[in-house]
This record gives sequence, structure tokens and C-alpha cells, in this order.
Amino acid sequence: MSEAKSVTVLRENVWTSNPIFMQVLGICSALAVTNLLINTVIMTLGVTLVTGFSSLTVSLLKKLIPRKVRMIIQTLIIAFYVIIVDLVLRAYMPDVSKNLGPYVGLIITNCIIMGRAEAFAQSNGPFISFWDGITSGLGYMGVLLLVAVVRELLGFGTLLGYQIMPPTFLPWTIMVMAPSAFFILAIIIWIGKSIQMRQGKGATA
Amino acid sequence: MDRQGTIYTMIFSFIVTFAFVFLLSLTNQATVGMVKLNQETTRQGAILAAMGIAHAGPQEVLEKFKSIRTEQKGGVTLYTTTRNGETIYAAEFAGSGLWSTIRGVVGVNSDVTRILGLEIISQGETPGLGGRIDEQWFKDQFTDEKVVNGQIQVDMHNAGAPDTSHDNGQVDGITGATITSTSVGRIVNDELETLRSILGGKS
Repeated sequence: MSEAKSVTVLRENVWTSNPIFMQVLGICSALAVTNLLINTVIMTLGVTLVTGFSSLTVSLLKKLIPRKVRMIIQTLIIAFYVIIVDLVLRAYMPDVSKNLGPYVGLIITNCIIMGRAEAFAQSNGPFISFWDGITSGLGYMGVLLLVAVVRELLGFGTLLGYQIMPPTFLPWTIMVMAPSAFFILAIIIWIGKSIQMRQGKGATA
Repeated sequence: MDRQGTIYTMIFSFIVTFAFVFLLSLTNQATVGMVKLNQETTRQGAILAAMGIAHAGPQEVLEKFKSIRTEQKGGVTLYTTTRNGETIYAAEFAGSGLWSTIRGVVGVNSDVTRILGLEIISQGETPGLGGRIDEQWFKDQFTDEKVVNGQIQVDMHNAGAPDTSHDNGQVDGITGATITSTSVGRIVNDELETLRSILGGKS
């Protein structure tokens, strides 16, 4: 894996084609798990690890997988890693597992993981695929953490459970509910795209 | 062999599925004991907490749980112990919330006029909304709460601060989680009814 390529992959996945705000993939979980920062941290860590390892495995097996069953094998690989994450959480972090409840299992349905397996790992080597998966996960994590910070701060007045806002602060109920994630996500996409367009203009001028 | 042929595809799918499922079974075998132990300590810890017995760490839970007596009465498993000369009880309950079955433990005094504590063992309500029934502030509202007219009320109108009075038979619901909050109220009231019918003669 050449250094230049890994830097390009990193920049693309975290910024220029960020899975959330450029490709708008995997936003179902962006809406569901972002009202408490701690849940978001664990969930996005899970997604990052699963994306990395599924991409690695798909890339290792890619020459052997018949085209007809390609997608189903990818799903199998992804499900395998998700169940491992779920079991590990249950055994070693029961409290976190209790908090996240059904959402760990739902990592399987995250489109980013399959998207990276299909778009990148199918046609690249194992190490760069692993790196691609991890950085895609980081891109996802960055945006979700941003959304979660805004939602927890305004919705509960806390961050990671610690009171931040003054006691007189009236929590915004809407921030706790799923619709607020739409608004915040849209604002993040707006800001992100504006910055990128300005950069694009600067480059061509 | 033709990599796109039917035979290869079938054999490949079989082997891959077998290999991954086999690895999963191994992982499951390796963690199952720990998961079971976690569940058991969670359950025992919940029973202790519902009876107002402080504990820290899994080791202490297992140790303190030995002082709890278990008896079967009216089809319910009752956990009893003596606190300040009074016999107190706890029982596990289960009922449906918005999405999931909410399981927990409620502790009561000998004549079911006060709830001693409420603990949630498992629930699959919306994280951040209904899932907050497992937060300490919510459960603390039930600690030493007086049972008024045989039940407790979950108030959904006074959003914001938890209900701090322990003599009005009221607890504050969770904003944005009306159905889960009122379900907890309903499930607890049903359990109080059951406990009253079992323990009624004793008081």
C-alpha cells in the first residue's frame, strides 16, 4: 500500500466523498443513535471496526467469490462481524450493550459497509481495503459525533451525561426526537458542501 | 473449475457459510458463560437495588444476594428479607412497552403501601427516549414512593424536572416517551395489584 494512495483514501473518505454528507449513505443510524453522545461513540466505533474487517475479508476472498452470490456473501461476512461485536459487548461491556439494545444488530443494515465492500474491496488489495473501511467509518463517526454533540447539548443540556448548560436552560424536546437529526444533518451537508465548493472555485481560478 | 458455474457456486457458498457460522458458534461458546453470569448478576443486583440494599460490583452482589430468601406464593417468586424489623418483598415483573417487553423488579413493604424501589432488568425501548426508563433519576422517583389509592400515577404533563415528592404517589414521565412511561406505570400498578392479593392477608 503506497503512502500517497492511503492519504488519498483518507482524504476522500473523511472529507471529499464523506459517506454521510457527500454520498448520503447510512443516514438511518445517523437519525436513530445520535441523541446521546455515548451511544453514538460506541455505535460508530462498532461500525468502523465492522467496515474495516468486512472490507479486509471481502478483499481477501474476492477472487474466489462467484459473481452470482457476491452480495449475499458480503452480507454474510458483514453479519459475521456484527454478531462478533454484539457478543463481545454482551460479555465484556454489559452496560453499554444494555444501552444500545437493538442498534448493534442493526449495524448489518448500514449501507456504508456494503457500499465500501462492493465499491472498493471488490477491486483492491486487502490492506488498502481495510484502511478504506476504517477511514469510511471515521468519516461516518465524525459527522455523527457532530450531530450527537448538538442534539445532546440542546436536548438534554448535557454532554456524555455531564451537565453543561446552566440549570435554567430549558431542554429542546425536538432535539431528542429523530426529526432534529434531519435538520442538523441538512445544515452540516450545507456547510460542508459550501466549503468544498469554495475550495473547488479557488482551485480552478 | 468454472468459478461462475453452479456447482462451484454451491460448494463455495456452503463452505463459506459453514466456516463463518462455525467461527460464530466458537465465539458464542467462548462468551456464553460470561454473558450468563452478567445476566444473573444484573438480575440479582436489580433485586437488591429494588429492596434498597446498596451494593457495588458483581462480587458484592453475589455475596449480598445470599441473605435474600426466595419463596413461591400464588405463582409468583417472592424475594424477602428483613429491614429494620420489617419484612420487605420484591418480585420480578414483565409487561409490554412501546416496542419491547420491559422486565424489572419492584420492591414493596409488607402491606404494599410503599414502593421501596424499581429496577429495570431488560428493555428494548427507543434509546435516548423510552430507553431512559433505565436512568437513575427516573428509577429514583419510585424509591420509597407512597402508593396512593392502590397505585402510582405517571404524570406526562409536567415535563422537565422529576417528581421529588415521595408521598404523592406520582412520578414524572419521560418527555418524548409517553407510551413507554405510561406503560411502566401500568406494569408497576398491575404488579402492585398482584402483590397485594398475595400479601394482603399478612398485613
